[in-house]
Amino acid sequence: MILAMFRVMLLALLRDRGALAVTFLLPPLIFVIFATVFAGASGEAVRLKLVVADQADSPASRRLVAALMAEPNLRAERDLDATVAAVRAKVRSGRVDAGLVMLTDPAGAGAPFLLITDPTRAMAAPLIESQVQNALAEHVPGVDAGKPRALFLHDPISGAKKGRGMVLYYAGAVTILFALFSALYGALSLIEERNAGIADRILAGPAGLAPAIGGKFLFLVLQGLFQAGAIFLVAKLLYGAPVRAQIAPWLVTSLAASACAAGLAMGLVALCRTRDQAQLIGISLFLILAVVGGSMVPRFLMPPWLQGLGTLTPHAWVIDAYQAVLWRDAGWQDVYPAWGVLVGLGLAGLALAYFTVRRVRR
Amino acid sequence: MTGGRPILNVWGAEHAYRSRRYLRGVDLTLRAGEVYALLGPPGAGKATLVQAICGRIPLTGGDIALEGHNPRDTPICRSALGLAPHNLALYGHLTVRENLLTFGRMAGVHGAALRDAVSQTMHLTRIADREHVPVGRLSTGFQRRVNIACAFLHRPRLLILDEPSVGADPVAREALDGTVRDLRDTGVAILIVTHDLELAGDLADRVGFMREGRKVMEGAPRQLITQAFGQEMEILVQLDEDPDSGDEIVLAAAGLERRDKTNVWTTLDAGGYVAAARLDVALRKAGVIPREIRVRQPSLQNLFTLVADWQQAA
Repeated sequence: MILAMFRVMLLALLRDRGALAVTFLLPPLIFVIFATVFAGASGEAVRLKLVVADQADSPASRRLVAALMAEPNLRAERDLDATVAAVRAKVRSGRVDAGLVMLTDPAGAGAPFLLITDPTRAMAAPLIESQVQNALAEHVPGVDAGKPRALFLHDPISGAKKGRGMVLYYAGAVTILFALFSALYGALSLIEERNAGIADRILAGPAGLAPAIGGKFLFLVLQGLFQAGAIFLVAKLLYGAPVRAQIAPWLVTSLAASACAAGLAMGLVALCRTRDQAQLIGISLFLILAVVGGSMVPRFLMPPWLQGLGTLTPHAWVIDAYQAVLWRDAGWQDVYPAWGVLVGLGLAGLALAYFTVRRVRR
Repeated sequence: MTGGRPILNVWGAEHAYRSRRYLRGVDLTLRAGEVYALLGPPGAGKATLVQAICGRIPLTGGDIALEGHNPRDTPICRSALGLAPHNLALYGHLTVRENLLTFGRMAGVHGAALRDAVSQTMHLTRIADREHVPVGRLSTGFQRRVNIACAFLHRPRLLILDEPSVGADPVAREALDGTVRDLRDTGVAILIVTHDLELAGDLADRVGFMREGRKVMEGAPRQLITQAFGQEMEILVQLDEDPDSGDEIVLAAAGLERRDKTNVWTTLDAGGYVAAARLDVALRKAGVIPREIRVRQPSLQNLFTLVADWQQAA
């Protein structure tokens, strides 16, 4: 009898491709993604983006710049303007992780370097300091980097309270994470309505499915918007996040994020045959997207190829958009692409849901 | 009541998908105030025909006119159509009234007209006394009536009831019959798609038998039965327990056939009660003791079996 039941269980597993994939393919896949992301976050595989400005223009500083440009553990670029303002602007825009300005000859006395950092990428400063010290010891003879000496002046961008940037980062990260999960649960009603024949009843009417799908989408968008409102209200009350001052771009970003989450969730659910299937696939997929997109570990700590992959996730666009409007004081033109991508993804998912649900299943 | 104006016309409907032909030249006309039952085994093409009438699938041949318009080409004409799917297409967490309001709005009825329609429909379908109860807490039979009410709310000229009696107990069935009759009296044409031959026999003005994508027989139930069986009566022999193989030989020799894996054996005989008495004597003599023998007019069930046999022979 034990073997009989064992066989039933075995056949059930072998004949269910979804269960097979979840049991044997998904765990290694998630392991690889988590290992890649979190191993990168430990510093071993981090390749930070650094902009270098050489105001000293001495033989030692030129050698150091060349060494930093050639350093495989950095993605260094030289700023031709060589002004503190230009470097600060680049750091503030988020295009680079930190900026190094060589104020005086590194071989001379005093603190020759100004390290401009973004508090939302706090880990970047010690990592870059370490890289600069190594390069200095190796390529600038006569400078003993090991000797106690203050080499760096620090300039964190924005006069904001330290830590607020990170709060805003995770407010955005959590917003898109839960917008997707909430939308997924809301969209599951598509399957229930299809199975119960409600979709058939609606499709038999003159208006077809469009108003029903549209109404569902509108609800999920507003649900996501209010969810984002709750998260950022707490961020404002507890951490002083500057939402009120940027309410209009915050509202547009939140609407775009919610529309993206609603559309993607509806499209995904419409493709699934059962509620269980939709939940399993949806949760797994959204979890992977969250990790890759930076909802759990900031993307700048990931290997470059994974950072590139992250731009394919809504999480990365949402986080960047919130950062741009609330932290980096970016202009509207800097967030249009993110809004466009998010709304586009949402509408694509919505269209997929519409055409999938109205299809006759045989 | 079959003299009303035509609401639905189907001419030579054909539908094929991949290599399979689901409909093979089906004709159908439904008039205002008529109840038509579409019968047939699973896979006969009934559901496909309903999907075509609802404009869900294109025809590969023939045409359909709902109030004079093709429902696929002219979606607006589908406002003349109400569909009660075979599943309970309702929101279980909403009350009866809330379900009616929801589906009314989706059908394009709003404001005071909607409120009036909800009240009238609840009374017509006899569900008003539970209007504030969540549908999920109601019996299946009651839910069936709510399912129909939601399809009738916008006052369609054609009401399609797909398996309306599934899950309904005898009391609920009686209430359902009453509801359908009351709806018919409003002048709506009702197309019932069902396996429930008793329901069809009780309610339908006309029935159509479908098999393998074709309509193989159509007419008023009593007329079809008379045409098929003439003066023959159905004799039903009820046994106490499963007959052994010897008894089965005796029963078969007496011309009896087992009905649907039950202990009821039937035959048709123009001799009626006299033939039944003779059969009783013969069976007892052979050692098979019936618990009960009944004689009745042949039903749609007999006709259905006859049609199936003809088709198999063909």
